[in-house]
Amino acid sequence: MIKPRHPLIELRRLHRYFGTTRAVQDMSFEVYSGEVFGYIGPNGAGKTTSMRILATLDEPTAGDAFVDGFSVIDDPDRVRRRLGFMPDYFGTYQNVNVREYLDFFARAYGLRGHERKQAIGSVMEFTMLDKLAKKPIDGLSKGMKQRLCLGRTMIHDPAVLILDEPAAGLDPRARIELREMISQLATMGKAVLISSHILTELAEICDKVAIIETGRLLAVGTVDEISETSETSSHVRLRLLGNEQPMVDWFAKRNDISNVSVNVGLITLTHEGGQEAQALLLREVIEAGFQVVEFASKQKSLEDVFLHVTEGKIQ
Amino acid sequence: MSSSDLTTAEETVEPATTDRLDAVMRRGLEWLEAAVDRVNPIMVKETRQALKSRQFVLTFFLVLIACWITSFAVVAIVGPEVYYVAEGPTMLSFYFGILAFPLMLIVPYTAFRSLAVEQEDNTYELLSISALSTRQIITGKLGSAVVQMLVYLSAVSPCIAFTFLLRGVDTLTVALLLFYFMLTSLGLSMMALLAGTAARARYAQVILSVVLVLIFAYFLAGAIASSTMFILESYRFIRDPWFWIVNLAFLTAYATTFALVHSAAAAHIAFNSENRSSPMRWTMLVQQACFLGWVTVMLMAEGLRIFGDAAMFTLTVSAAYWYAMGAVLTSEWPYLSRRVQRSLPKSTLGEVFLTWLNPGPGTGYMFCIANFSFVAILAWALMFAMATSSGTTTSFFTEQFYVVVCWSYLVIFLGAGKLLIGLARRFIYVSLTAGVLLHVLLMLTAIGLPQILDYLAHPQQFRVEYSLLHISNPFWTLSLLANQSPSGFGATNPITLATLLIATALVVVLLNIRATWGEIQHQRQALPTRVAEEEAELHPTPESKPQSPWES
Repeated sequence: MIKPRHPLIELRRLHRYFGTTRAVQDMSFEVYSGEVFGYIGPNGAGKTTSMRILATLDEPTAGDAFVDGFSVIDDPDRVRRRLGFMPDYFGTYQNVNVREYLDFFARAYGLRGHERKQAIGSVMEFTMLDKLAKKPIDGLSKGMKQRLCLGRTMIHDPAVLILDEPAAGLDPRARIELREMISQLATMGKAVLISSHILTELAEICDKVAIIETGRLLAVGTVDEISETSETSSHVRLRLLGNEQPMVDWFAKRNDISNVSVNVGLITLTHEGGQEAQALLLREVIEAGFQVVEFASKQKSLEDVFLHVTEGKIQ
Repeated sequence: MSSSDLTTAEETVEPATTDRLDAVMRRGLEWLEAAVDRVNPIMVKETRQALKSRQFVLTFFLVLIACWITSFAVVAIVGPEVYYVAEGPTMLSFYFGILAFPLMLIVPYTAFRSLAVEQEDNTYELLSISALSTRQIITGKLGSAVVQMLVYLSAVSPCIAFTFLLRGVDTLTVALLLFYFMLTSLGLSMMALLAGTAARARYAQVILSVVLVLIFAYFLAGAIASSTMFILESYRFIRDPWFWIVNLAFLTAYATTFALVHSAAAAHIAFNSENRSSPMRWTMLVQQACFLGWVTVMLMAEGLRIFGDAAMFTLTVSAAYWYAMGAVLTSEWPYLSRRVQRSLPKSTLGEVFLTWLNPGPGTGYMFCIANFSFVAILAWALMFAMATSSGTTTSFFTEQFYVVVCWSYLVIFLGAGKLLIGLARRFIYVSLTAGVLLHVLLMLTAIGLPQILDYLAHPQQFRVEYSLLHISNPFWTLSLLANQSPSGFGATNPITLATLLIATALVVVLLNIRATWGEIQHQRQALPTRVAEEEAELHPTPESKPQSPWES
């Protein structure tokens, strides 16, 4: 994919302090068009703070953030036209139905006449709320409210979407549907910055992730890139024809292998080195005369990477 | 012509007429839709909400029922005399009393709550990141208040019309009362909205709502009393040309104050990097111009005999005004955002005159002093004109003192307050509200401290007597000068007093010039490349057309 001239989201040495609490410290990363960027961190890590700065709801203590090249400090009005922010609360009005709610925000974003009607129609269709158009918001389920909030976020067709914990409290079906919607939005060319505690879900939809803790950015990149840079060892499992003991003894002589264990014919071990070293190990095992019927390296999950990178600190 | 021919003619004409009617209807609807599209979105949303709200419907019907009960009750009490006795004024007083309840209490309080509820329901943040400007948000909330006023008015209007049947009421009185009721309600709503923008925390909202209800209740009582009085006495007022002049002056003051409060409310909720000060400063300039304009009208009408009094009045009102405005302006944050720096004046002339309209405490201080100095010079000129024409120099001498002392006090108090805020900001965060409170605290200390010291020095024989120690009390000093009673100064020589004050004022100005220098050094910054690109896209420069046939 050819990258555009500038990233749609850019954090440049962003800092935000609240008294002595350093909510965000020297954070920098970029998100390009069509990317879904996962924002991972424990509670109080600074995710919401940095998202609020991007949404022009707060100002950084130092550094700057840019949306489509516009500074959130100097040009908040231009940023707002390009950005849809879905906070971790609903923000709904009383005595208003679904259509009226979307109509209000469409008007608030300056959409008029046919353009507004078309935007409301397509958002209701996308979020599958068209059958609930006349339903009062107070009577909507949590999942439906979440859809409505997503609809509100995208009513003015922004290039950038910032979603703070969009899947929180949703049932499994609603989560799957939300995930599909987010993937669809990315295919439309939007840059999506999403934070969630449900790491398995993020792993499925995110092109890149950023792991933050105590306001600091610990790692940025794809899950594979982060796991490769953060940890050099990998877990390998083998199954042989015949007795496993000679192999266990053979492994015991090697420096790059540790934690060897045998369980119902399955040997598991920790191997120092990347994928090339693993390929070499397999060749050496075969050349040593062992009859290997299974050789697999366990792929690290986002949860593994997260646990490895973070230290569980809170502030 | 045969009947068949007629039928054919009707058939051909009818569809054409229907089509034309349809087209007109369609065009009318399109126009209406386009017009509604331009209405403030908040107004549309809140009107929809209000029409579904139980509180609104209940209040509307209560007003309606109250009007009916009053009508029946009065007609029943008056009995058959209703056919020949002019009971219109009595009835009208009752109806305006009923109308005052929603207009003076419900509508402004709803305006205050509408902002508070946005914050409670977490919708305010969503609103603030939309494309709506802060001015649009405030105007939308006001628009919604106006719609509610009109709906309540519609409940009372048939009853007001009924008073005409009862005689004794003229349309001008009713129109004036309705106009002022609406204006008061709008003003109170604006004030409530300003309070709403200031009250973010829950406890502040509770305290403010109690204070506001008390203020609204006071206005409610005032509206009922004054409307009753006006209905009974209007025939006297409306024949007096001064009544209309005073009304016009009041409307000018109302409009400019309204604009100022609107700007302040919008500024309160605006993003930090936005220029929140300049619109307010422009409004202050307009307000001062209007005030001076009305003083001129008064002088032209009344002639030379009131020049002295007019000068003192103008100076005193201006001093109070610029002290209040200065307390706010000198509490502003001393840094200019890059966004504001982009809109700084370009030309040298612009830099000389418009720099003082830029945000910042230093420019704010100079802006207030410059404006007040202008008024002081005008006041002095008036006093001089009166003294030279009448030939009396005794009062002119005291009046000159008044001008100089008044000017010095304003310069000292605003300047000292500004320096104090600057000093405090070196150690702690001082918000705009805290800055204003510091000014108030400084003034209270200046008045109270000499009294305390006086008491401590002579606890046994404490007397309220002016001495040089009380030089920091502007009210006492100025009141003695205004009353032209040099004996009131006791042993203090007024010339020493004035010299001391002028010297202090000059020192304070010099100290502040040093602090202000940094603020006026800012140069206009160029637009960032990305912004310039978008501007070029949105507003392309038109291609230059050939000026002559020989140009290609």
